[in-house]
Amino acid sequence: MTTAHLQSSSGGNGSAAASAARQGPGETVVLDHGTGAKLSRELVERISETLGDTYVGTMEDSALLELPTNRIAFTTDSFVVTPLIFENGDIGKIAVCGTVNDLAVSGARPLYLTLSLIIEAGMPMADLLKVVASARDAARLAGVKIVAGDTKVVGKGEADQLFINTAGVGVLERPSVSVRNVRPGQKILLSGYIGNHSIHLLSIREGLGFERNVLSDCAPLNHMIDAVLRSVPAGKVASLRDVTRGGLCAVLHEHARAVNCAIRFEKKALPILMEAAMAADMLGINVLHLANEGCLCLFVEPDVADQVLAILREDPCGENAAFIGEVEASSRPEVRMVELDGTLTTIEELYGAELPRLC
Amino acid sequence: MPNVAVLTNDLQYEFTHKISTDAQELDRMIKQFNVFLDGIRAASQVVVHLQLIHDPNDPQVQRRYRGRAIPAIGGTPGNQLIADVVHPSDVVVVKGRDSGFYETKLHDTLQDLGVSTVVVTGLQTHVCVQTTAADAFFRGYKVWVPEDCVFSPKPEDTKRALDWMAGYCATIAPSSEILARLSTSDDLPGRGEEAAA
Repeated sequence: MTTAHLQSSSGGNGSAAASAARQGPGETVVLDHGTGAKLSRELVERISETLGDTYVGTMEDSALLELPTNRIAFTTDSFVVTPLIFENGDIGKIAVCGTVNDLAVSGARPLYLTLSLIIEAGMPMADLLKVVASARDAARLAGVKIVAGDTKVVGKGEADQLFINTAGVGVLERPSVSVRNVRPGQKILLSGYIGNHSIHLLSIREGLGFERNVLSDCAPLNHMIDAVLRSVPAGKVASLRDVTRGGLCAVLHEHARAVNCAIRFEKKALPILMEAAMAADMLGINVLHLANEGCLCLFVEPDVADQVLAILREDPCGENAAFIGEVEASSRPEVRMVELDGTLTTIEELYGAELPRLC
Repeated sequence: MPNVAVLTNDLQYEFTHKISTDAQELDRMIKQFNVFLDGIRAASQVVVHLQLIHDPNDPQVQRRYRGRAIPAIGGTPGNQLIADVVHPSDVVVVKGRDSGFYETKLHDTLQDLGVSTVVVTGLQTHVCVQTTAADAFFRGYKVWVPEDCVFSPKPEDTKRALDWMAGYCATIAPSSEILARLSTSDDLPGRGEEAAA
């Protein structure tokens, strides 16, 4: 069905470095792993072996894909998360889930991904293969195939261990969902806790002690999204967003701005784990701005809202799903939060990046 | 066996300026702190000193101190615990992050000792004390914080951290109250236990 290419090249002259490649448990990636020579081929073979049956390439220059429709969704994303490996996931899992989720929230069925690795010389080989194995497992869970890839090795200090880019193709087999479909009266739901992914990573970075209690939510959401879209009439789900960089605040502002409406949500309705709230309070950061990797925000017509909530809660990724608010008519775009005492607070959009490298 | 462990954070020579930059004031505060530790030892409870030692090769440490000298390097004179606060019966646990529990043997040590209550002290209140208190709470320990045995250079940081701990995970009290309680009981109540009773 497909033809593909996992190629390899180096960002520097590393002919002497080949001899420095240590074997065994301490083996690290060296510049010669990216020069296109024998060591490169061996690295690519190890990566493709690790990917196993999720990799369906044939080591040629392009993946040739057959699609059941001429309506496709196509996206790309790059991942620079630190730490690279965390308690219940790593950059490989995020790289697959992030692109799968971007396709799925467009209403597409994700099918194919590419996987490109920019590796810093000196990265432990065991860590690299662990990340690749996580990408494989996430792809299996999502039901997608990795059809092409690339590896580049750059010198020490020219990257931070590993950066990943994934691109993805999905097929649109039903009317697409879009922010432009949002209208006053629609209900807003979240599929799960917000803030957990960011708190987990920040806790590991600083050794705060929350990392065992607040785990990353990173997961492919395509099956849950498919269950929702399959179960309600077309058009009843107006818009979907995975609540990633910029957090819930960015998602709500994007929708308010796109259709010039107001969004009102209730603070008490937000699904926030107590330990995540503790950590955010301690760090002086707002959970509304925190990136997630497995949380969905849905804008739905009120007559299917209860049904959608029930479907979400049947999925392990949606068991903490909740209504959080609704869309209101307004002369200007705005996002307002109902505080615990009933007063309204205008939620401003974050101007810059509050927290870098969480995804 | 002790039920209570006092955890001191970062009582090392290189950090004494965060307690006070005035030598006489620092001396007075250390003496006062020692009154509390001596009382704990006299009550047959245990003192555990958490000594911060950074691994300069740890990428997270390098990232945190990018552009600055990495503090708490093992083997340096400044990295040593303040001799006046360490007693031969005390336990020393090395940590590499803010929380004393993060990838250390602290939890196992406390379990081996039979400790169910921790009293978190030292510096800085809004960093290591706060994170260690939260981590202890998550691990099921009863957590107390003596408000006169925690230090931050800015009083407002200490106040904010104490308010946070009181709200979420710890009982805040003067050290004298903790000693008074331990003179009549071999343990301290959990947060809210007395109010509930």
